[in-house]
Amino acid sequence: MSKKPNITQSKLPLSGRIVMFFIRHVQQGMSSMGELWRSPVSSIMTMAVLGVSLSLPAALQVLVKNAENITQSWNNAAEISLFINTGRSEQSIQSLLSRVKAFREVETVSYISRDQALEEFQRLSGFGEALSYLDDNPLPAVVTVTPSVKYSSPTGARELLVKLEREPEVNFGRLDIEWLERLQALLKLLEKTVLAIAALLVLAVVLVIGNTIRLAIMNRRTEIEVMKLVGATEAFIQRPFLYTGIWYGVIGGVLAWLIINILVWYLDGALAELLGLYGSQLTIQSLTFAELIKLVLLASFLGWLGSYLSVRQHLRNIEPS
Amino acid sequence: MDVNFHLRQGEMAFLTGHSGAGKSTLLKLITVIERATAGKVSINGHNIANVDSKHVPYLRRNIGMIFQNHHLLMDKSVFDNIALPLVIEGFSHGEIRKRVAGALDMVGLYGKERHLPIMLSGGEQQRVGIARAIVNKPPLLLADEPTGNLDPKLSMDILRLFETFNDSGTSVLIATHDLGLIARMKYRTFTLRQGRMLGGESTDREVMR
Repeated sequence: MSKKPNITQSKLPLSGRIVMFFIRHVQQGMSSMGELWRSPVSSIMTMAVLGVSLSLPAALQVLVKNAENITQSWNNAAEISLFINTGRSEQSIQSLLSRVKAFREVETVSYISRDQALEEFQRLSGFGEALSYLDDNPLPAVVTVTPSVKYSSPTGARELLVKLEREPEVNFGRLDIEWLERLQALLKLLEKTVLAIAALLVLAVVLVIGNTIRLAIMNRRTEIEVMKLVGATEAFIQRPFLYTGIWYGVIGGVLAWLIINILVWYLDGALAELLGLYGSQLTIQSLTFAELIKLVLLASFLGWLGSYLSVRQHLRNIEPS
Repeated sequence: MDVNFHLRQGEMAFLTGHSGAGKSTLLKLITVIERATAGKVSINGHNIANVDSKHVPYLRRNIGMIFQNHHLLMDKSVFDNIALPLVIEGFSHGEIRKRVAGALDMVGLYGKERHLPIMLSGGEQQRVGIARAIVNKPPLLLADEPTGNLDPKLSMDILRLFETFNDSGTSVLIATHDLGLIARMKYRTFTLRQGRMLGGESTDREVMR
């Protein structure tokens, strides 16, 4: 009895199939790129939509990054001012200073004596000579304590403040960090908002690509039927569509990156002016190269996902009849 | 449908009957475009009535199919149309060129690779369809009304073409209602009438080859 060849398998040897598998992938990848060029207007429109959709979350990411960068320098600026009870001798103040310096929570301590405080006040307040008519110096001595890095967070600094206020020489202390806490809460809110908006726009990208691929599938309905008739597998038929989705993603991602750079360039001047008024040397940061790669990878994944979902849904329904 | 017939390996036969008798449906059952609700369709001893749908593409690669409206891709060149089964199967570029040239030569369209199907006559388009069906040398060739739109002389040419494939060992089943054509050739004829087989001998149930 002759051996029956298995009719439900490929006739080519495995090694040849593997090599051709990769060659086909490259060819199909390239040809779907060419396919996009053949209908430039609709392709460019789709890519532009993707670029704009992706640029918004990316822009928000840049915003958060820069806001964090700016507040980073403020974060550690938490300073505790201790107002010393009047009538304390210079000696007891010096002993307070040495005790506080020994705290492991404390980074630096500086001391402004009553005289120095008055002098500074005269210089900065503009009352000038008027103050010299006072019989007595009304200002208390001030000790400024900078917490160590570990205690510079709002909660840490507050703990330190409580501890310092227990010292008998200290009248009361002030920690001006409420605004910092508010800022941090604001930043957290901003970050969450960015995340939510990004999720929505990512969904939009998937839907846009899914719909574009659906139209492409409908346009090539007869071709798909014929391919199925002559024995094309689903994988073979869907591959060009998946590559098309990936190309859309890649180009949309690069477009988003370009939009961001233009935006940053446009805002840079205005921001430098604003920061200059605050005496800050910060410059606005755009997306780094690593972030560009991440953006493009994410976009191409979204492109693949969108077209995959579309292909799964629509390719199966096209059968020769 | 109550049909019992057996097409032997290397045999050429006609399938005939009025429109709506079930010729096309029968061919669709063999190529798993439609599935039988009862009974058995087998090729080479493999029952294909309930073959897994992911194996269907590989099954179809073993069957050359020719259609009345030839199902060509109108925006692709003749070469690309004929090369499609080979591309799908993953042949190398050199091999594809060689085989497409061979297939074009067989159907008498050598030198028209670069033409678009629209530039060809009806008979030539049908030949392109035939070239696509035989380019990967399938052991079984099915033709659904291959001469439907052609005049008698062209029809005869097409049938002669099928004979040459049959001579080289390919099994051929041609569905047609052109009884005059059949009468001129001495091949077995299966006649379908309202879903029943008349004539032709019955062996298994519905068994091919």
